[in-house]
Amino acid sequence: MTGFLVKRLLQALVVLFLVTIIVFLLLHALPGGPARAILGPKGTPQQIAHFNEVQGYNNPLPVQYWDYLVRLFHGNLGESYKLNESVSSLLGQRLPKTLILTVLATIVAVAVAVPLGLLQAVRRGKPADYLLTAGAFLAYATPVFFLGLILIIVFSQAIPIFPAEAPQGTSIGSIFSGFSGMILPIATMALGIIAMFSRYMRSATLDNLTEEYVRTAMAKGQSSRRILAKHVLRNALIPLVTLLGLYLPTLFSGALVVESMFNYPGMGLLFWNAAQGSDFPVLLGVTLVVGVATVVGSLVTDIVYAVLDPRIRSVS
Amino acid sequence: MSVISPAVAPGHEEAAQATPSLARRTVQVFTRNKLALAGVVVLVLLLLFCYVGPLVHPTDQVHTDLSQASLAPGAPGHLLGTTDLGYDLVGRLMVAGQSSLEVGLAAGVLATLFGTVWGAVSGYFGGWVDAVMMRVTDAALAIPAMFLLVVVSAIITPSKTILILIIAAVAWLSPARLVRGEALSLRDREYVQAMRMMGGGGARAVFRHIVPNAIGTVIVNATFQVADAILYVSYLAFLGLSIPPPATDWGSMLSSGITYTQNGYWWMIFPAGIAIVLVVGAFNFIGDGLRDAFEVRLQKK
Amino acid sequence: MSEPLLSVDDLHVEIASRDRTVHALDGVNFDLAPGEALGVVGESGSGKTMTALSLLGLLPSGGSVTRGSVRFDGDDLIAGGDRKLRDVRGNTMGVVFQDPLTSLNPTMTIGAQVAEPLLLHHDIGKKEAWARAQDMLGLVGMPQPAERMKNYPHQLSGGMRQRVAIAMALVCEPKLLIADEPTTALDVTTQHQILELIDDLRSRLGMAMILVTHDLGVIANRVDRVAVMYAGKIAETAGVRSLFRAPRHRYTEALFAALPEKAVIGATELRTIPGLPPNLAVEQHGCRFAARCAYATDVCRTEEPALTGDDHAFACFHPVPLDAADPLDDVAPGGQRHTPAVTSGAPLLEITDLRKDFPLRGGPFARGRGTVSAVGGVTLTVRKGETFGVVGESGCGKTTIGRMVAGLEDPTSGSITFEGRDLATMTRAERRRHRKSIQLMFQDSTAAMDPRMRVGTILREPLVIQGAGDRAEQDKIVAELLDAVGLPRGAVDRYPHEFSGGQRQRLGLARALTLSPELIVADEPVSALDVSVQAQILNLMRELQRDRELTYLFISHDLAVIRYLADTVGVMYLGKLVECGPADQVYARPLHPYTRGLLDTVNVPDPEAAGDGGTPLGGETPSAANPPSGCRFRTRCPIAQDICAKVEPAVTTPAGEGHQVACHFPLAGGALQDAA
Repeated sequence: MTGFLVKRLLQALVVLFLVTIIVFLLLHALPGGPARAILGPKGTPQQIAHFNEVQGYNNPLPVQYWDYLVRLFHGNLGESYKLNESVSSLLGQRLPKTLILTVLATIVAVAVAVPLGLLQAVRRGKPADYLLTAGAFLAYATPVFFLGLILIIVFSQAIPIFPAEAPQGTSIGSIFSGFSGMILPIATMALGIIAMFSRYMRSATLDNLTEEYVRTAMAKGQSSRRILAKHVLRNALIPLVTLLGLYLPTLFSGALVVESMFNYPGMGLLFWNAAQGSDFPVLLGVTLVVGVATVVGSLVTDIVYAVLDPRIRSVS
Repeated sequence: MSVISPAVAPGHEEAAQATPSLARRTVQVFTRNKLALAGVVVLVLLLLFCYVGPLVHPTDQVHTDLSQASLAPGAPGHLLGTTDLGYDLVGRLMVAGQSSLEVGLAAGVLATLFGTVWGAVSGYFGGWVDAVMMRVTDAALAIPAMFLLVVVSAIITPSKTILILIIAAVAWLSPARLVRGEALSLRDREYVQAMRMMGGGGARAVFRHIVPNAIGTVIVNATFQVADAILYVSYLAFLGLSIPPPATDWGSMLSSGITYTQNGYWWMIFPAGIAIVLVVGAFNFIGDGLRDAFEVRLQKK
Repeated sequence: MSEPLLSVDDLHVEIASRDRTVHALDGVNFDLAPGEALGVVGESGSGKTMTALSLLGLLPSGGSVTRGSVRFDGDDLIAGGDRKLRDVRGNTMGVVFQDPLTSLNPTMTIGAQVAEPLLLHHDIGKKEAWARAQDMLGLVGMPQPAERMKNYPHQLSGGMRQRVAIAMALVCEPKLLIADEPTTALDVTTQHQILELIDDLRSRLGMAMILVTHDLGVIANRVDRVAVMYAGKIAETAGVRSLFRAPRHRYTEALFAALPEKAVIGATELRTIPGLPPNLAVEQHGCRFAARCAYATDVCRTEEPALTGDDHAFACFHPVPLDAADPLDDVAPGGQRHTPAVTSGAPLLEITDLRKDFPLRGGPFARGRGTVSAVGGVTLTVRKGETFGVVGESGCGKTTIGRMVAGLEDPTSGSITFEGRDLATMTRAERRRHRKSIQLMFQDSTAAMDPRMRVGTILREPLVIQGAGDRAEQDKIVAELLDAVGLPRGAVDRYPHEFSGGQRQRLGLARALTLSPELIVADEPVSALDVSVQAQILNLMRELQRDRELTYLFISHDLAVIRYLADTVGVMYLGKLVECGPADQVYARPLHPYTRGLLDTVNVPDPEAAGDGGTPLGGETPSAANPPSGCRFRTRCPIAQDICAKVEPAVTTPAGEGHQVACHFPLAGGALQDAA
């Protein structure tokens, strides 16, 4: 187990390092460079030269990268061009909100997807299975913003029970005081995840049902229902943790769209607004933080998985 | 009621019998899958609609005509009404579908090709080559695709070609991982060992044994890649980063329709949205059917 | 006669899949008295496992009982439905399956799994259930049962896992134990221990048993009565001694005759049963064995023989006459003599102090955590034209040696010399050409053949790689090869999966022969096959050796197969060659206590021979990652002394040149008692 941890940690560090390189290159390797992107096509050569001088873009790339890393280590992600605030303080306000949205949506999704997948596996080849399979594929095939739009039209316009806009306050408390505004964003995000996870649960359950230990449990006189609950569920759920880790990037992508859609003041909305206004320090800061969050998140899920699965836990 | 029955099959398959050829069996299994067949039918219909449709129903999709803007469905000559700029909606759907399908197909195929090569090389060589190549893949995967797409398209103004390139640039990662895993396991198969023992080399291993045996995985993955690429196009459009007008795609149609949600102009939203769902769903159904077909083919003793 | 515990009457089972319905059981009848042990024996597809599973209602998906009844302990299990079955399962009827790893839940502790039946069937609390589960673990010979309760299955060895499975089956003290190939996945010594354990518990708990197995050796020594199954029906049933002494059904007779144990060493060809069992998806007419039976007449092909007789019942129109002598005598077809044992030929392959260490698993950051010494210094010589048999239990390093000889692994140290040339000194190109001379035949030809290639392409591949001949010549060679291994030439257009296990093994042999090698390394080539098919392959290998002057390095765990085929035998234990010499000498007068132990442990398919069996091996093989000091066998050796732990024994030849042993106290006269 410790060997596994050390190895996995070192891997994560290497990946983190590579993530910083990718983010750095994103800004520098693109045609025209940051100056052209920020000043626009109308920027005069003098303006560009001045901008590059001030921002340190005239130094050789490795030097710039080194400076970038040093700044990162000091927690300095730069200043927003547009918002007159440091990127780190912006992220400090916005990141928790995105995490709340993502975590809530994931909890809802897992709570729905697991029983749904089990049901499909047990009813394999029956109409319920086909219906749910088709449903899951269609939900997966629907762009998140179209899904959100349908929900808004139905639950906010046709039957006005939920607001179409998320709660706006800057504090975390505002989310929970105006929670009805969270229903549609969470539902939108959760639907896509449900589609993926229920498919996983279905096939994992089916795989486990063909395992011989199920036959052993039957040979003990265990009922089908309890075999599912006591034996199969556990074995199918443990790998779901890894799946969560793998889907983290997809979850963040989903949050970006949902936040923009429902005007939810999280990191995704910040990022979207920054993209509209070419606010590069914010764009890259958010990208980096999301990348780091993904690496750390998948590291955590791997460790949780190792703890949950006795086969890995006890290999010392 | 017993919903569970042990599926541990005994050796009653031993008796050898003539079986149909592999290809026929694959087709058989695929055609038994009703959802997959539905996928094929939907895809063919959509292709006909987008490419043959404009011949049957020619419309002007270049010049705006504000006098004809936002007509409701059923208006004379406009079966599904018109857009906010006065384009005939049916015709617009056809043109938009062409871009969506072309970009999706091209990006999906490109991503699959590149990812397959990357994964095969990484998996076959193993060791440090593999470690380095896979860490690069991990790092690129760590940055969610949408964020990468947004940053890149915030810097570059997209054209169709650029759209294809940037979508492929984020989409190649998953086939790379998949094929790498496949190559890793195929490399150690006994039939590859047997071939090495006859004096065969690496090239033969890769091209005669590994690639043909991984091809199922690759084809299946390609269909999912195309589906995902079409979704990416629509997301980019939603984030305001798609090909500039008068060209359009289904995603752009849908997101420009969102502005009119309050006005009840449903025809500017649903036809395009449903088209996306249909085409992406069709590719997914086809991919799923193919996967079953290829798997049965390998599992069959 | 007392009321039977179990009564199976006219049982029919069908297994439906998408394309077809297999009639797995077609009218099976038998009774079982309380406390009686019945052995159900048959080849794959005979329906023996289906019989066991249908008693418990555990048929695979698509399977169903279409007719007949199963009465157990006063209840009709078929009519009783799911509720009744659940009540019986694990309670009055316990079952042990073949694979002890996959049949245990990987994420549940041993304790929870053993206690589960108690909690289901007895009205007791968790605490008491756990206490009784722990007692049960002690009873099945699990050391430190209290600690083991908290372990997970993967932390135990295969033998220990099977003990857990037995504990689970017996924890409710059932009246009937069904054991479905309980030892097939285990090594000889573990197998022996588990069978002893089952025997012991059976007499202690006074339960009846149904032992399902393909292994006639297992059945001969462990049951009262035997039912021989063929193609979904019972062909013959009798008391175990009566059956082995005088089989009446022609199938039983042929099956016994195909056993390698039955052949006089090196003297006769094995009798084989031609063809394959019938396809049970098709309706059967007449005797199911008729198509493969040498005695079949018209009546056999049209009418179905009934199972008749009281104590010794059989379903055959032309049974073996009662006065026939030992089945062996009338089988040897003309007593074809094998070439005399080659012990004087020129050395073809010389292995000197060969070692192979594998790093312990754990990836690049786990270096320095030690190695597994798979092969720990082996020296041996294979002479031209002989069959050198390497025998040993799993993990003894025999496969690794084969792979090094075939060039699939590089030795850590030591040398392999082929025809006087050291393989390590060859250039790349030389090595490539040299590959022709040594070919490997795999255990599992399914895995060793590209599933996407047709047989023609597979067989031609070696020729293409070595650039031998043009297309027409290659096709000609392939056709000749197919003739040589007894397959139709039309096979070239088919895929490997379309062949049966035995046919695939023929293909494997054909491919190994394509480049006309001098040495074939055969790694467990018949282990996955049924006895009758195994005999076909062994005969074929022998015939080809004679015709083509082949040399075999034959690797197997099966002492009987090695004895039948090998001229010279090497016995391996934990990476070491402990004994090596002419086959007849090694078997008759072993010098090493391990060889002696192995021979005493093996199940001889002869009930008369049971009981005099010396001293079977106890304990488990230690880990190769940390082998014992001195002699690696000392931890299990009944005659070990202090010196065995300190000094590694050198190779000596106390019984004369050519019979080597690595032991401080070699046995005299092949018996343990006389030693030390």
